[in-house]
Amino acid sequence: MDSKGSSQKGSRLLLLLVVSNLLLCQGVVSTPVCPNGPGNCQVSLRDLFDRAVMVSHYIHDLSSEMFNEFDKRYAQGKGFITMALNSCHTSSLPTPEDKEQAQQTHHEVLMSLILGLLRSWNDPLYHLVTEVRGMKGAPDAILSRAIEIEEENKRLLEGMEMIFGQVIPGAKETEPYPVWSGLPSLQTKDEDARYSAFYNLLHCLRRDSSKIDTYLKLLNCRIIYNNNC
Amino acid sequence: MFENAASRVVFILLLFLNVSLLNGQSPPEKPKLVKCRSPGKETFTCWWEPGTDGGLPTNYKLTYHQEGETLIHECPDYKTGGPNSCYFSKKHTSIWKMYVITVNAINQMGISSSDPLYVDVTYIVEPEPPANLTLELKHPEDRKPYLWIKWSPPTMTDVKSGWFIIQYEIRLKPEKATDWETHFTPKQTQLKIFNLYPGQKYLVQIRSKPDHGYWSEWSPESSIQIPNDFPVKDTSMWIFVAILSAVICLIMVWAVALKGYSMVTCILPPVPGPKIKGFDVHLLEKGKSEELLRALESHDFPPTSDCEDLLMEFIEVDDCEDQQLMPRPSKEHTEQGVKPMHLDLDSDSGRGSCDSPSLLSEKCDEPQAHPSKFHTPEGPEKLENPETNLTCLQAPQSTSGEGKIPYFLANGPKSSTWPFPQPPSLYSPRYSYHNIADVCELALGMAGTTATSLDQTDQHALKASKTIETGREGKATKQRESEGCSSKPDQDTVWPRPQDKTPLISAKPLEYVEIHKVSQDGVLALFPKQNEKFGAPEASKEYSKVSRVTDSNILVLVPDPQAQNLTLLEEPAKKAPPALP
Repeated sequence: MDSKGSSQKGSRLLLLLVVSNLLLCQGVVSTPVCPNGPGNCQVSLRDLFDRAVMVSHYIHDLSSEMFNEFDKRYAQGKGFITMALNSCHTSSLPTPEDKEQAQQTHHEVLMSLILGLLRSWNDPLYHLVTEVRGMKGAPDAILSRAIEIEEENKRLLEGMEMIFGQVIPGAKETEPYPVWSGLPSLQTKDEDARYSAFYNLLHCLRRDSSKIDTYLKLLNCRIIYNNNC
Repeated sequence: MFENAASRVVFILLLFLNVSLLNGQSPPEKPKLVKCRSPGKETFTCWWEPGTDGGLPTNYKLTYHQEGETLIHECPDYKTGGPNSCYFSKKHTSIWKMYVITVNAINQMGISSSDPLYVDVTYIVEPEPPANLTLELKHPEDRKPYLWIKWSPPTMTDVKSGWFIIQYEIRLKPEKATDWETHFTPKQTQLKIFNLYPGQKYLVQIRSKPDHGYWSEWSPESSIQIPNDFPVKDTSMWIFVAILSAVICLIMVWAVALKGYSMVTCILPPVPGPKIKGFDVHLLEKGKSEELLRALESHDFPPTSDCEDLLMEFIEVDDCEDQQLMPRPSKEHTEQGVKPMHLDLDSDSGRGSCDSPSLLSEKCDEPQAHPSKFHTPEGPEKLENPETNLTCLQAPQSTSGEGKIPYFLANGPKSSTWPFPQPPSLYSPRYSYHNIADVCELALGMAGTTATSLDQTDQHALKASKTIETGREGKATKQRESEGCSSKPDQDTVWPRPQDKTPLISAKPLEYVEIHKVSQDGVLALFPKQNEKFGAPEASKEYSKVSRVTDSNILVLVPDPQAQNLTLLEEPAKKAPPALP
């Protein structure tokens, strides 16, 4: 009798142990596998950077083309450029403005700057697409690129957040970013004013995409290739 | 008054202007900023075009201010960039900031300012061409030889830190060629070129481009001479290819040898040529017409059952009141023949009608060298021409001669009791081949009853027949045609008199007769046409002897025992009827 009871207890314990192990194992499987622990996965970081550099390059190409298209079509001889000076909503961000400054900026700072820029463009891109659609005679070249840029911007933001999480583990992810408030000027009835607002927006988009692209390429060479591109 | 004052002022001003112009002095013309370029995204240079200087020494001053600043700066360096340029060093260069640049031309007379130029350094990047271009020929062991091109990045570009991302393009060509071969390489600073022509001098150039910006100029040409003994080809590969193709060729040859003939016949089936049984081309070439004709004869010509499908199955004989068989005035030239009717080209069943065109007339035109005949006289009219021995049975005929002509051929004796519409001298060789051949062949298809008898009643169809005379030695072409239906003059068949009536005369209006063959001495052998239902013909009953002629237009035939013997001897060689056009 006693042996039976003890054997039953034993089996129950065994069963309990197995089940608890299974439950614990499930939790382990869900996290990404990094040989040296999270934040130091050099292989996947390289792929992430490659992808991010490709996307940022693509976004800058699209922005340049979109700006040139708009300039050619709506801005000839209008002198919109004079109004575009100092009109970017992201100018408050302390971005480095030459190579030396950029090289002296820590990659953490650079990455958070990149993230801030990407986040601050989510909203303006969304409204850009809506407003360009509503613009009479809007050529498909501009509209299709705007839609593409909006999508790619989201993708790049996701990638950057992953990179950030790996390069600087534990850093606070949410930093304040500049908010765009140019929607009323995009919707104004005055055609010239509206076109001027569009011009500003596209001009700033081109510039900020160039910043993101340059910083990412710099970080890529610095982190992945050890300054030996 | 005012007007006077105004006009005076204007006059004075104009005078002043004229004076100054006469002196050749004026304020300078507005200069123009041409372009600004940055070779490495760290510095940049701007160039301008001066206007006319107005005859006075003119200074140029470049001023600028940056986006977001109000302070106006002057150009830091007028020299480094060359004349009429301004060089902005690293200290003075900011990326992602707009520069508003203006050039002023100053002379004693005044100042002229250019239009402002808005410059963002990010978008004016144009690098220098790559430097240190080296060319080297390499011959590694066990591998194909190649040209190794190396270079280094252009000056003033910081590629290592990743600040400047660069791409290259190399082009090369043999010295005398016109087209360049271009290669694009992202990032790397070397390139291997295979597939070079030995003995040629190659020219190589390279240029670079930033990730966002303008292409550089092409570098100066570098050249290299490929030696003549430069092994270009990988010989082992060619040896393999040669062996493989040889093997394939051998296989194909073997296959062709084995099945060549069947393949050829499959691809190019032989064209069936015309064949006349017994016709010997060589005899024709030699001109031995008699032998030729004999050869044809011996092969059971005219053909018997082979031609059945071509031949008429029956003959309708109409009793024509009209005189198709009207004796025609004998003419010397019956080439045309008088035709009371013309050829009927319809495709009726072969029914000879009085209205149908008459080959009769044509056939009647054909002169006979010898009187031979056969008869179906129609009426007493026929008797009027005793000279002609040819009687014509009218039959429908199409010009194509498609076997619709029942012709009743026979050898006629020398003497003819039946009149002829045509004099025998009027032999007209005019007839086309197939008319005559038709006559021969079609006659064979004629079906007949036990006797050929022509009823005199008016329902009868008229049979047109004609004997075709042969023996015209001079007419080789026609001879062949007519030979088959030859009738020899030395026939001494006795023609019965028409008065008798034989009991064999059928009361039916339509009679069938089948010509079996023409024997060697010109005897026409007739068979009663067998009803197809009955199957095999009675081979033994051959009707080739005329017993009598009754009622002036009925011929009674009886089996000829002599001919039967011949029949048994001769093998009816089956042959296809000659192709008729």
